Amino acid sequence: MALLHAWRTARVTPLGELHTPPRMTAVLLRLTVQVVLVASLWHGLYAHTGTTAGMDRDQAVTYAVLAVLASRLRELDQYAGRDTVLQHMHFGTIVYWYLRPLPPQRYHALRALGEQLYGFTWALGGYVVCLAAGVVQPPGSAAVAGVFALSLLLGQLVLYHVMLVLDQLCFWTVRNNAAMLILVFAQNLLSGVYAPLWFFPDWFVTMSAFLPFQATLSVPLSLYIGRIPLSDAAGQLAVQAAWVLLLFLFTRFLWRRAARRVMSQGG
Amino acid sequence: MSGSIDVRGLSRTFHTTVRRPGFTGALRSLVNPERVAKQAVCDISFDVAPGELLALLGPNGAGKSTTIKVLTGILTPTSGTARVAGVVPYEERERNARNIGAVFGQRTQLWWDLPVRESFAILRDIYEVPKAEHAARLKEFDDLLDLSSFWDTRVRHLSLGQRVRSDLAAALLHDPQVVFLDEPTIGMDVVVKEQVREFLRHQVEQRGRTVLLTTHDMTEVERLAERVVLINHGRLVLDGSLDEIRRRFGSTWQVRATLADAHTEVQPLPGIEVLRHEGARVVFGPASCEGADAPTVHQALKAVIERYEVTDIAIDEADLEDVMRAAYVHAEAA
Amino acid sequence: MKGVRIAWRVTRLNFRAQLEYRTEFLLMIAIGAIWQVSVIVFATVLLSRFTGMGGWDSSEVLLIPATRMLAHGLFVLVLGRVHLIGRQIQEGRIDIYLTRPMPVHRQVQLAFFPTNAIGDLTVAAGLMAGALSRSDLDWTAGRVSYLVAAVVGGMLLEAALFTAVASASLRFPAADYWGRWLEELLGTFGSYPLNVLPKAVGGFLTFGLPLAFVAYFPAAVLTGHGHDAGVPYWLAAVSPLLGVLAYLGARLLWRRSLGHYSGVNG
Repeated sequence: MALLHAWRTARVTPLGELHTPPRMTAVLLRLTVQVVLVASLWHGLYAHTGTTAGMDRDQAVTYAVLAVLASRLRELDQYAGRDTVLQHMHFGTIVYWYLRPLPPQRYHALRALGEQLYGFTWALGGYVVCLAAGVVQPPGSAAVAGVFALSLLLGQLVLYHVMLVLDQLCFWTVRNNAAMLILVFAQNLLSGVYAPLWFFPDWFVTMSAFLPFQATLSVPLSLYIGRIPLSDAAGQLAVQAAWVLLLFLFTRFLWRRAARRVMSQGG
Repeated sequence: MSGSIDVRGLSRTFHTTVRRPGFTGALRSLVNPERVAKQAVCDISFDVAPGELLALLGPNGAGKSTTIKVLTGILTPTSGTARVAGVVPYEERERNARNIGAVFGQRTQLWWDLPVRESFAILRDIYEVPKAEHAARLKEFDDLLDLSSFWDTRVRHLSLGQRVRSDLAAALLHDPQVVFLDEPTIGMDVVVKEQVREFLRHQVEQRGRTVLLTTHDMTEVERLAERVVLINHGRLVLDGSLDEIRRRFGSTWQVRATLADAHTEVQPLPGIEVLRHEGARVVFGPASCEGADAPTVHQALKAVIERYEVTDIAIDEADLEDVMRAAYVHAEAA
Repeated sequence: MKGVRIAWRVTRLNFRAQLEYRTEFLLMIAIGAIWQVSVIVFATVLLSRFTGMGGWDSSEVLLIPATRMLAHGLFVLVLGRVHLIGRQIQEGRIDIYLTRPMPVHRQVQLAFFPTNAIGDLTVAAGLMAGALSRSDLDWTAGRVSYLVAAVVGGMLLEAALFTAVASASLRFPAADYWGRWLEELLGTFGSYPLNVLPKAVGGFLTFGLPLAFVAYFPAAVLTGHGHDAGVPYWLAAVSPLLGVLAYLGARLLWRRSLGHYSGVNG
């Protein structure tokens, strides 16, 4: 039975998307254009440069394109479905999360799982096409591919918890969409979606090392392109795992506080 | 375990920040906010028997929603206790959740992007309802609420009436013993309202569910509720039948008589007083000091005809809205 | 005149409304700080890595993001509410606006105060100051006025694009999605000399999505790269004017779409 409700809850996002074909067309178009633009930009930037920040052209292009695909893993589909904490707080429907025998935190996790898996199929499809078209390089070896897969999984777990913290913030600061968008931007920037973190000044890289964001994307992608050698992989994976644990404990604490807040304000 | 509701000495205080007026005031509040306490509900006690429909009435801001939120486990009371079907809702929220269903006015719990039926399916799995049971109940609800005409439509495209009917069904699909409805029919047309009332009556009479309803629609109260609880400013004003409310707050009837001789000097009769003159017509009502011993409308009719020569006579029972207005104003003054 | 007075009063009220939510207001300021640091870092990172990008000297390239950011900051402050208008549409706010004796577009703009614009403008002004101080150009009165015109034109062009999306949202609420993408595209590709891109891609960003006119062409004209910007010199030079025209066109489109507005949820 528990499996049933998990399945049912997880498939809300893909089902909603399937019911809205224009949205899927939009995603396809956007992803295609974005990949073409990003690939040509990095080709252009490298036109007069051989290797910079320890990355050559192919590595940089591969990184940038994979970053575009990965950002598709957790888009704002839940937002279109009016099922974000922000919207529930705004419309006053958050009360229903607390009226069901399913704990809100589990509901939230299941929804995110479905959404991330759905996004993953998109990213995977895009990856296969890009690989076939020669836009991205294949991984250096089977070992690299394996480590990348593991690191990507951990990265997604970190990402889930980071996004969860943003969602949980909405229990306290209710109203602002713009704030959320800026936070999402900062999150993307610090995780290396817009440009590989290797390009940033040293102080920025050092600061990033103390933040969870780079563990979401920068680490797995750097492993993939070989910017982080396999010999350093174990340490990086351990850091990722540590972030997962830390953020798990932190978000669990926030859920408790959020429940207390709903219970004292009445949603 | 029966579907009873038991509320004892319930109080709930909210703390809010007051804003100082003006621009500098706003800036000062930013730095040093001033907190005040507001009692939303104060020492309320009542109970609802299993299979009973109780209307919780009161003007806006009286504390109705706060009471419902405590009973659904969303709010913790400041003091006092509440039990719903034997469970203390705010202590065992999830256990309570299985026993109750709730609809909060226009807020929908359905999934915006999915057809209604998908929402039902998700809820079925969340509440762990067996498939056959779910199908049977859905059939029953469809017969009463005509859901199948729109249940393949996505929620974002439903009309208000369709959405509220869907929400009502969604709240009852797991067969809860106790149902909380916070202004369920607000903004709906008469046909849909009647459909919803029929559905509720069926759920109470045939299925034995306990229903706690808040509404501002007095027709609804008259059609549905055997008993009402009236609260105002967070305090319980009255707990009783509609008749009791009528007796206490309404001139329960009016007799309009056109006298044959317009110049007759009209005197009050025992227990009956003259409310006003409308030209040749005289309007009689029960004397306000009589209370429960006031004469019935038939006794009054008889008394007027015996005493005066009338050419035309009509009786009017004051409608519930007038009674409630009187009750609210009375509670205000108290 | 009366319209301006009302607009000013409503804006003041909106600003006070922002102060009402204490945590949120303070959070917005904190977020603004993160935003500032990250954007400046982002803009300078690539410049320092890829010197001589597209034949431009890095102090010249800096003028592109500076112009774009300033135009964007002004857009957010003055006309930014057309972006993400979907929410106002979904909540039926447009229906309410239509019943009031004030143009709907102005009411949309007066819906709330954009606290985040303060942060945007601060960054942009800082970036512009940096770009000007590092510039070797002779800043004559003519150049300065062209720069001002370019910033205003860029703001209007960005406003035109978002107004067009907003017009579409009036009829198809899902169009809001494109608004988010548009913002991302402007942010990501608006800051480079577009001649580093292949011709077809550069052409798309000029004639398909006229992003090149916001900052790239004006900066090219100012720094003397106007002749190899990929379009005739005169076309690059009239960018600010195109901004004005595009905005007027977008407002016409808005007015027509409003005429076809049919409300939400029947």
